[in-house]
Amino acid sequence: MSYQVLGISAFYHDSAAALVRDGEIVAAAQEERFTRKKHDPAFPERAVNYCLEEGFIDPSDLDAVVFYDRPLLTYDRALKNALQMGDAGRDQFLRSTRSLLGQKVHVEDIVRRCLGSLGRANELLLCEHHVAHAASAFFPSPFEESAILTIDGVGEWAALTVGRGDASGIEILREIDYPHSLGLLYSAATHHCGFKVNSGEYKLMGLAPYGEPRFVQEIRENLIDLKDDGSFRLNTDYFGFLTGDAMTNTRFEELFGTRRRPPHEPISRHQMDVAASFQVVIEEAVLAVARFAKAETGSRHLVLAGGVALNCVANGRLLRAGVFADLWIQPAAGDAGGALGAALQASHINDGARPRPARPGGDGQLGSYLGPAFSDREIRAFLDRRALPFEHIPELDERSERIARTLAEGKVVGFFSGRMEFGPRALGARSILGDPRRADTQSKMNLQIKFRESFRPFAPSVLEEEAGDHFELDRASPYMLLVADVRKEHRLPRDRSKWRSEGEDMMPIINEIRSHLPAITHVDFSARVQTVRGDTNPAFHRLLEAFGEQTGVGVVVNTSFNVRGEPIVCTPADAFRCFMRTEIDLLVLEDYLLWKDAQSPSDEDEAWKARLIADDEGESAVRAPSGSGPVPVFGDPAIAVEAGRIWREELAGAVGGRYFAARPDAGLPTYYLSREGAGVEGLRTARLGSANAIEEALLELWSDARDEGLRAAAPALAALAMRLKSLDTQDGELPEFVYTLF
Amino acid sequence: MRQQFQYHPRVGYHFVPGLKARIPREGGGGYLVATNAQGFRCEHDFTPTRAAGSRRILLFGDSFTAGDGVANAQRYGDIVETMVEDLEVYNFGIPGTGPDQHWLAYQTFATALDSDLLVIAVLVENVRRVAARFRYYKDDLGRRVCYAKPYFLLGPEGPELHNVPAPREPIDEASLPLEDRDAIDRVGRFPRLNQLLMKTGTVGLAHRITGHSSYPQYDHPDDPDWRLMSRVLAEWIRSHPGPVLMTPLPLYYHIEEIQDPAPYQARFRELAEEVGCHFHDPLPDLLTHSMDERKRFRFGVDVHYTPKGHSALASSLAPVVRNLLDAPA
Repeated sequence: MSYQVLGISAFYHDSAAALVRDGEIVAAAQEERFTRKKHDPAFPERAVNYCLEEGFIDPSDLDAVVFYDRPLLTYDRALKNALQMGDAGRDQFLRSTRSLLGQKVHVEDIVRRCLGSLGRANELLLCEHHVAHAASAFFPSPFEESAILTIDGVGEWAALTVGRGDASGIEILREIDYPHSLGLLYSAATHHCGFKVNSGEYKLMGLAPYGEPRFVQEIRENLIDLKDDGSFRLNTDYFGFLTGDAMTNTRFEELFGTRRRPPHEPISRHQMDVAASFQVVIEEAVLAVARFAKAETGSRHLVLAGGVALNCVANGRLLRAGVFADLWIQPAAGDAGGALGAALQASHINDGARPRPARPGGDGQLGSYLGPAFSDREIRAFLDRRALPFEHIPELDERSERIARTLAEGKVVGFFSGRMEFGPRALGARSILGDPRRADTQSKMNLQIKFRESFRPFAPSVLEEEAGDHFELDRASPYMLLVADVRKEHRLPRDRSKWRSEGEDMMPIINEIRSHLPAITHVDFSARVQTVRGDTNPAFHRLLEAFGEQTGVGVVVNTSFNVRGEPIVCTPADAFRCFMRTEIDLLVLEDYLLWKDAQSPSDEDEAWKARLIADDEGESAVRAPSGSGPVPVFGDPAIAVEAGRIWREELAGAVGGRYFAARPDAGLPTYYLSREGAGVEGLRTARLGSANAIEEALLELWSDARDEGLRAAAPALAALAMRLKSLDTQDGELPEFVYTLF
Repeated sequence: MRQQFQYHPRVGYHFVPGLKARIPREGGGGYLVATNAQGFRCEHDFTPTRAAGSRRILLFGDSFTAGDGVANAQRYGDIVETMVEDLEVYNFGIPGTGPDQHWLAYQTFATALDSDLLVIAVLVENVRRVAARFRYYKDDLGRRVCYAKPYFLLGPEGPELHNVPAPREPIDEASLPLEDRDAIDRVGRFPRLNQLLMKTGTVGLAHRITGHSSYPQYDHPDDPDWRLMSRVLAEWIRSHPGPVLMTPLPLYYHIEEIQDPAPYQARFRELAEEVGCHFHDPLPDLLTHSMDERKRFRFGVDVHYTPKGHSALASSLAPVVRNLLDAPA
């Protein structure tokens, strides 16, 4: 009789569920994919529903249900922290208490209510947070025995553990407890740079190569005391998380000589340098603790999990350092993976079972394709219900060649194939694909499809057998968790000293062509590589082969199938919505091809686009292309503004309307301001005479949004700025800041 | 959540073939749904001929027959299959439909199938659905969308089919002429008020005090909605070459003795006598259970049968089915 365990993670961020049967992973998925709320921390009712659906079992058929955390230990930490902090910790304690007593302590009741049963165990099993992470890393790994390293913000108490896994299970050897946390340190830097904590960390990582690590000494001397044995302590005087919700405090800001970047302000060199500096420190810390793990366990292998394990730059450095012969990183390294780890741990304790490798030397993670798939009949039902025009190409070779040809023409493809990925990375099941050879692919995909900053690089997916031809990578990287450099012979010469001379305008650097695959080559020649095998994802592998046959490179740009602020798509309906709301040219739903120019746009999708543009949720500004000029609208150049950025909704409301459209023949979107913004002629003539003056006015406008008059003036100010630019008068080209305000 | 239904130009829609899904249920939990290769929630793929020694019934109905709220094996049709020897039940239940669309499904999918008995299960509420030309459903985001359905009108020669092929696109109610808006099935005469009463547990009291009848269409044999449904059923039953069993499925109003069942019982019995089909009214058997038990025959605000409700219904139906199948031809 099978032993079936449901694992659940919830109530912090990125809740998830996983089903394990006799040690094998049956299903795992994040709740956000179903609720469409990014990083949804709510109880994963829909993910649980999916797992039971995939296993086709009722809750009463489960042997056990396991939660990935011990809530009372977490409460213990909150209590002791409050006692230590005295009055300063009171507010945070009250918040923690409300949160814990509101949901977490009652998790068993919630699970019972949701499922109607706790399975044959008839009680909710609890697994310590870092044990769950460790289990998620070790049990699916290809290793018989291994050192284990888990690093995140904080679990109950532990923020980092070193352990060992073998046939007998998992043993935690050492731990570093809250508040001394590499995850929280990195999150503090994320916060300081204006990104969302628990979400924007990978943006900070992507920003780091643009900067100079000029703050490393300040960080080492003031924020973290790194010991030779790999342990460390944070200086809590610089952090806000012990006493409140903010990650940092004024001392932190004083240390770096600037306040936290407000999310709507453009990213400056300062943030790039901060990002570079913290990246260096994190890498040093991870390397040091890995050396400790090596010394403690003597193992040749290391497995990693916890949010910090998603720092693929650090992973790449760890690999190159050669401390361990091989690494394996849980693809869902964050809290979502805790659900899987908890289920695997319970399963292993029951009968010693663990996932069998899919092939000799392989792992048991099944490519992390652990989410729902949709059958041909389901997709056809979706298309028929909406009467959507499509092409049906059931033959894989023919379909792959057609898609590859489309990519080679510079078009962008939404690729929906097989079971959805578990974890934050799109691995060719829910991916947006592009041609990596084209210099404009990165900006097109960023601005017209992802609606996000253009500094962030895209990742390449490459045929595993061809990876060594393009990248300095001597092993598989199926989960996009290793960074490798583009091979030297493919790099193009560049002058890094030019960087500092470019001022704040990073666009020339971002748009620099750095290799034969410019769309995936980061400024430091690195790439976040996914290697693709035919036995793990045959459809994606065949597509890469077809693209290679047509172009000579078996590599495509692969980014997650979503837009900024939304989770990766799950269902055909999600994919179609994303397709219609972006400039994706072709949507592939399994065997069905939907061409954008054959579809009828809906008012709903257009309205959604406008809302997205207005609803900037803390992302930094998109940069306008250098040299692009205004485009007249309604025949009046004074109300035209071309920029890759954001017309805020409240301003739109103040001026009584807005018109938004994408210019289809441009490499970047065009956002038009409405003519209702007119009527401020007096202000314009009285105060503004140069591009710099306009910039100042816009700054003032932005900092005092309560001033209705200034708010109403915004369109006219921007229009005037563009006119000045186009006439090349006064100060010449406008500073980029003017663009980025919009 | 997965899309459960696929468009069909003649029937309107049916289940997506080969589906395996778990559908969330009111108050937490969910139920497993599996469909066959033909797009019906049936444990058997449909084959034209019976296996040697086996007997087959074709079972038509709506969500109460398809089994909304319960797993396949917990439905009354599946339970009857286990209670009657050598029986296979082909379940053609389609949620959200009435006998008009069931007849179309029969014409489209069932006429070529061997069978020993055709069972037409008519939920009492279906009289309203047959009269409707439009119905609201929920899309994948939970938004209400209105679709047109195939429907019949009574002509001089009997029921005349309209709206086939059924439009695929949702209908904007505001764009409909006023008379068509009256033909939208809004799930009850006072759906919102009824939901409120259900949630507060006062529906029985309110109905008893006001003497409210949810289905006045059964009060008189000449009611136009009943006439339409009864003519559809009569044509269907007469068209079937083998024996037919018609069984009206009661709602909680009748199971919990909130409303008088006599009008609908009379109408269905008259119809069965008219067309000469077999008839089974399960309500008297259901009423032999205690009131506490009967209240557990539905979920709550969701009035579909619970596993207990299905089990009770199967216990009433199985002996009738057995007798009919065992009777000499």
